[in-house]
Amino acid sequence: MSFLQVNGIDVRYGDVQVIFELSLRVEEGEVVSIIGGNGAGKSTLLKTLSGLLEPSTGEILFEGRPIHGSPPEVIVERGIIHVPEGRRLFSLMSVRDNLIVGAYNSRADKAREETLEEVYRLFPRLRERESQMAMTLSGGEQQMVAIARGLMAKPKLLMLDEPSLGLAPILIKMIFDTVRTIAQQGTTVLLVEQDVKHSLGLSDRGYVLEHGRIVLEGPARDLLNDPHIKTAYLGM
Amino acid sequence: MTRRSINQSACLLVAVLALGLPLVMRSATYLHILILLYFYAYLTTSWNLVGGFAGVLPLGHAAFVGIGAYTSTILYLQYGVSPWLGMLVGGILATLVGILIGLPTFKMRGAYFALATIAFAEGIRVMIENIDRLGPFVINGPRGLQIPPLKLGLSNFMFAVKEPYYYIILIMLAAVLLLTYCISRSKLGYYLNAGGEEPEAAMALGVNVARAKLIAMAMSSFLTALAGTFYAQFTLYIHPKSVVSLDLSFEIAFIALIGGRGSIAGPVLGALLLRPVSDFSRIYFGDTVPGLHLIIFGVVLILVMLYQPRGLQEPLTRLYNRLVDRLAGTEGGEASA
Ligand SMILES: Nc1ncnc2c1ncn2[C@@H]1O[C@H](COP(=O)(O)OP(=O)(O)OP(=O)(O)O)[C@@H](O)[C@H]1O
Ligand SMILES: [Mg+2]
Repeated sequence: MSFLQVNGIDVRYGDVQVIFELSLRVEEGEVVSIIGGNGAGKSTLLKTLSGLLEPSTGEILFEGRPIHGSPPEVIVERGIIHVPEGRRLFSLMSVRDNLIVGAYNSRADKAREETLEEVYRLFPRLRERESQMAMTLSGGEQQMVAIARGLMAKPKLLMLDEPSLGLAPILIKMIFDTVRTIAQQGTTVLLVEQDVKHSLGLSDRGYVLEHGRIVLEGPARDLLNDPHIKTAYLGM
Repeated sequence: MTRRSINQSACLLVAVLALGLPLVMRSATYLHILILLYFYAYLTTSWNLVGGFAGVLPLGHAAFVGIGAYTSTILYLQYGVSPWLGMLVGGILATLVGILIGLPTFKMRGAYFALATIAFAEGIRVMIENIDRLGPFVINGPRGLQIPPLKLGLSNFMFAVKEPYYYIILIMLAAVLLLTYCISRSKLGYYLNAGGEEPEAAMALGVNVARAKLIAMAMSSFLTALAGTFYAQFTLYIHPKSVVSLDLSFEIAFIALIGGRGSIAGPVLGALLLRPVSDFSRIYFGDTVPGLHLIIFGVVLILVMLYQPRGLQEPLTRLYNRLVDRLAGTEGGEASA
């Protein structure tokens, strides 16, 4: 039994179906990438995994137990944390208060101060800006807060939705390095990205999502050499 | 003087002023105006728990004022229950209604939520206006209920002079401000704030946004209903147009938006600035242009939203801080020189 197992889910917004019979798995300790173009359904998939949406059919198992149909707070309590696309900070709160809200669930709340220390070690920049209002941060710093806020929830599985979106190349590298560090420290990571090279570069395995269906999957290295990926996503 | 001691002196000054005003101001009219000012500041502060902290725009809070006013009045008139106890019963009833309104509507966004709350409140008003009795309870339709001022005294929440009312509403206002202050610094305050601005992100972190909003709504409706009882005892006459009207709901929201919703000082500043407008437009134009104050509020609201979208509390707070800085700065400089 895999750490996270998705079996044949359909997801729809009202009448519009966006994800079709999708199956995937993530093993404990892995970094797995989901890549795909705009509108492929990547964010929809993550929202379904975190309980913001409910699949109309199929099942989602985490550590062997079903989570589809559970509300987000229950899924967070189980250890799945979703860092949504576009940072979504609480703009009028300080950096520190944003992080504190991250530690909402009871598991995380107990270890709050220690986790805060760990997170500040990972992002020393955020310690300096601790009391600054979130909306006054640069784009890169905001992304750091978004990831750090997710870490405050003590994830077993951390799901990141396009963390590199809208960042300069040097910051993109920095963010991916941090993701690598997070994974090395033992957190399982499910990464949604359009930056195929970087994300497959640090992943163990990957899935390619097109029009709501998985069209390709395999070890990250194989995918990087796949002719379809080369032409469609790497522009080679 | 340090900044801290300046702040403390300012608080002390406000407290002394508020407590001492009735001793120097002998005019019953002005006292009446002040009591209503505190009443509105209290209502708006209670509203602010949902309308400010939770980031939604409820426009039907008059319903809770009405529930409070009618509950305690009916219990007193028909069963001789002390209005203080009736106040509590009204609060509990309003809490239940608040939760019932919140459950289906908190899933709605923006204008839809506002419209739904208007619909609920208007529904309650129309109901009260059109029934004379509800089971054993005499409601008296549009004619309303009158409380004969026969048994005066604290235990009956009834006084021949205005001073006791002044102090009661002042204490209520201070208490609700303290409560708001504590909530804004509590976890609940954080969750409301987070859920109000970025509900999906908050939910993805496991924050139970719906529950936080419901708790805020429950507290807000409870507190609002208490003010309803106060109003009933203060005027000794309630009718649907006075305690369940859309005007009242709107005036609360206007005061909050203009003063600055989501802040602690906003509702009080809003009431301080707008209540005199209401009173004087009613005194001078009441017969010729009824409702003029709402039109003035509308214009002020447009201007404030254009130039100070976070309400007048923001520039005023800045002004105050600069003043404190100047005082602390010069005094500090002299001390070190
Ligand atoms: N709330 C919604 N209501 C209706 N349709 C939606 C909603 N959100 C997304 N969709 C549709 O679902 C499809 C998949 O959207 P999704 O956001 O999952 O794509 P994505 O792969 O994350 O794209 P991107 O890389 O641009 O973020 C799109 O066609 C989109 O229009
Ligand atoms: Mg997306």
